[in-house]
Amino acid sequence: MGEFIQFTLNGLMSGAIYALIAVGIVSVFKATKVVNFAHGYIIMFGAYFYFTFSVIVPGAAWAPDWLQSWEPAWMVAMKADLPMFSPMGAVLDWLSNLPRIILGLAGAVICNALLGLLIERTLMRPLIGQSTFAMIMITVGLISVLSGTKGLIWTADAEFVPHIAPNTPIRLNLFDTPIFLFGADLVNVAVALLLFGAIVAMVRYTKSGVAIRATAEDQSTAYSMGISVPRVFSRAWVLAATTGAIAGAILATRNGVSPSLGLFGFSVLAIVLMGGLDSYVGVFIAALTVGFLEAMAQWQFGGEFAEVVPYIAVLVVILIRPHGLFGQKEVERI
Amino acid sequence: MITGDLKATYAADERVLNNGYKQAFVLAMAALCALMPFIANDYIILVASQMGIMLIAVVGVNVVIGYTGLLSLGHAAFMAIGAYSVPILHRLMDNIGLPDGIMPFIAIPGAIAISAIVGIIVGLPSLRVKGLYLAVATLSANFIIIFLIELEALAPWTGGLVGLNTPDPNILGWVFDTQREMFALIAALAFVTILAIQNLFRTRVGRAFIAIRERDYSAEILGISLFRYKLMSFAISAACCRLAGALFAYFYARILPEQFELALSLQLVAALIVGGMGRTMGPVFGVMIIVMVPEVLKFTFGMVAGGAAEVAQLRAPVQEIVFGLLIIFFLMFEPLGINQLVDRGIRALNRWPFARG
Amino acid sequence: MLEVRDVHLSFGGIKALQGVSFAAKPGEITGVIGPNGAGKTSLFNAISGFYQPDRGQVFFGGNDISHLSPDRRAEMGIARTFQNIALFRGMTVLDNIKLGGHTRLRTGLWSALSYFGPARREELELRREIEEKVIDFLEIDHIRKYPITILPYGLQKRVELGRALAMQPKVLLLDEPVAGMNREETADMARFILDVQEQFGITVLLVEHDMHMVMDICSHIVVLNFGQQIASGTPAEVSGDPGVIEAYLGAAA
Repeated sequence: MGEFIQFTLNGLMSGAIYALIAVGIVSVFKATKVVNFAHGYIIMFGAYFYFTFSVIVPGAAWAPDWLQSWEPAWMVAMKADLPMFSPMGAVLDWLSNLPRIILGLAGAVICNALLGLLIERTLMRPLIGQSTFAMIMITVGLISVLSGTKGLIWTADAEFVPHIAPNTPIRLNLFDTPIFLFGADLVNVAVALLLFGAIVAMVRYTKSGVAIRATAEDQSTAYSMGISVPRVFSRAWVLAATTGAIAGAILATRNGVSPSLGLFGFSVLAIVLMGGLDSYVGVFIAALTVGFLEAMAQWQFGGEFAEVVPYIAVLVVILIRPHGLFGQKEVERI
Repeated sequence: MITGDLKATYAADERVLNNGYKQAFVLAMAALCALMPFIANDYIILVASQMGIMLIAVVGVNVVIGYTGLLSLGHAAFMAIGAYSVPILHRLMDNIGLPDGIMPFIAIPGAIAISAIVGIIVGLPSLRVKGLYLAVATLSANFIIIFLIELEALAPWTGGLVGLNTPDPNILGWVFDTQREMFALIAALAFVTILAIQNLFRTRVGRAFIAIRERDYSAEILGISLFRYKLMSFAISAACCRLAGALFAYFYARILPEQFELALSLQLVAALIVGGMGRTMGPVFGVMIIVMVPEVLKFTFGMVAGGAAEVAQLRAPVQEIVFGLLIIFFLMFEPLGINQLVDRGIRALNRWPFARG
Repeated sequence: MLEVRDVHLSFGGIKALQGVSFAAKPGEITGVIGPNGAGKTSLFNAISGFYQPDRGQVFFGGNDISHLSPDRRAEMGIARTFQNIALFRGMTVLDNIKLGGHTRLRTGLWSALSYFGPARREELELRREIEEKVIDFLEIDHIRKYPITILPYGLQKRVELGRALAMQPKVLLLDEPVAGMNREETADMARFILDVQEQFGITVLLVEHDMHMVMDICSHIVVLNFGQQIASGTPAEVSGDPGVIEAYLGAAA
């Protein structure tokens, strides 16, 4: 029972991060009707930007020492008194990493926003008003471009990056079995949920959210009502890229940066289709479900089975509910 | 039409090769392929065989993406099934003691038939609905099939991560153990495939595919069952990919799971977009470009870098970028692909010297 | 021939059709009229199978077809055109019309792949038939190789009629065949519709806003208003019906 709870918690935590990745795909789809097949590679870029600004830059010869590791005298003194693996020690370690974590996150968000803007301006905007099929195929081409560009810029594989929060181990006793949680994981989940909630609230209640929904309904009508459709497009892409940067950074802290981060995009695509493409709630539930199922597969059959869970799940869902768990069948006007 | 497009009978008007340039081009291609095993050097035979295998697969992808307008991103998986069926079926036939000479006649259709089941499992549910479900379903199938091939438990059959050795085809006692002989076989099958698919689009079956692409409810009102024809289109395209996969297995001495990953699916799509979606000759032009890109890069990198390892390892990423840029470039600037450029050229030739353009 | 019996249809809270019943007489032209939003196109969609009625049935040749898919109904002999032209825009006129022959052809996958032989014979026969019975008839031989996109609106409407005729249907549903046409084009189209009925004996059901044309060519008229059937009868009966006058001109008239 204890093991089950441990794996369930792990699964739900990765589910929350899937939801954060999915929000980027859903937002772009809602605004532009384009399913971004390359979203995983945008996330991978976010992870590599985080790696660049939190590991490579602080480690450079010209960078100040405090950027690499901030250790004022009081902290050194405190550390000396602490026993090994104490919670306070983890917090202090985090504090001395804080400058590079902040630089890393800021760098990742800014660079990814620029990347999103660049993609929207050069590839998507010229095709506004044309078939969405072409735009979707362009994102397929983008997979190759981004993956190749990554290979040219960053040759390092599977590098580790600092956690964004103190990684204090927390031990609980449930049903007489110990359950381990890590501080960083809990903060990751909190960040993912907060961002997810903020974006849903934004689309639902703010003026630019209304613009996004209007554009989703009918591009040309929205345009003629004074909504700047190109601006809605670029906002959606920037939103997707920045949430992708944070998701990428979080994924990097969990598994290290590596080219395989791009593949997360495909599992999340499967999740998004399971949830029903334009339903935030459906996608959120699908993300948690897949996270949970992955953890179960890992527990029962071993790690390599976890990676095909989203793909099997989406095939099963399509078989049972063709429009996704929460998607609506469109009434067509003929 | 400025110079004559005048026909006296409906039969003449329905011809596909309706002018001298097209006829000459097809004849020249056929003659070239027939002569190549005798005159070309080993390198050209190797590249041309790769093109032939890719071509059969891209012709298949063209049916589903180009003509029917359904996005499929997992056709490498069907190639994988076709390829892996060959050594596995050969082993089974060995066990029951069939003579080598008839094995390909069972292995090739067998490879196509076995994976028809997989195609139906993947295609059936997603073809009932519109949109990108097929794209994601095929993508998922690609990941699942590669996963199964690499799975430890199935390794006695699939060879797992290290792959499988594949047999040479023995057709009624003639063993195709050189690349030259294999090239002849591949070229012949590629011709037959293109011809058969071209025929399809002269009849109601192919027209129904195009109608679904253009406007699905309008196709329905004409009595075209969307589900039936979508499934048929998907099945045909998957069958072409399996044939390509089977030839792939016969051509190379060894097959590995990593050869059939997403990158191959993307290459198939890239070849189609570059060549021209929904056109008979599109795959031909596209495959020429896509197979030439790595060769040209190899040559350029060889010239620029000599043997420098740091530069040489940049070749793979550069190749990926070039494929991606080709897809994007053609979609943005010439969505009908090279085929359209060639058509324009032929039209200009037809009118010359009376008009330009 | 074609009969709708007490058909109800609603989308969410909107009641598009409430108890529509009438029968199209074989070999005659029946008109469906009504103000905008009266449910005319919804009625067509219920007959051709895009919408399933919530209540009531659609009968064709004595069989209940209410729950058949659109393609099954097309096979039985129901053809239609659309209010805002639904031709295959990337194809030529000829290919569009050939698609109309789909249900009458028998070529299957295997004979299609080999083409030479039965498939070719069938294709050439189809071509001859289309040229003689549709393209000649509609006077569109000069544009047969043109792509749809470059044709003017009036000709597109005519090609769409041609595609429906190539099905050799028993019933032809025309959704606003002359909408947006000038007087000359309207007259041409009206003549074609009359010819279709006279030469081929096809039962025609048409929705139209152009009152003059409807009164001229229809032998029977059904009037809808807000999803309800408010009148039905000959043109003379309908145009004298107080309910119809009220629906069209308002209560004061």
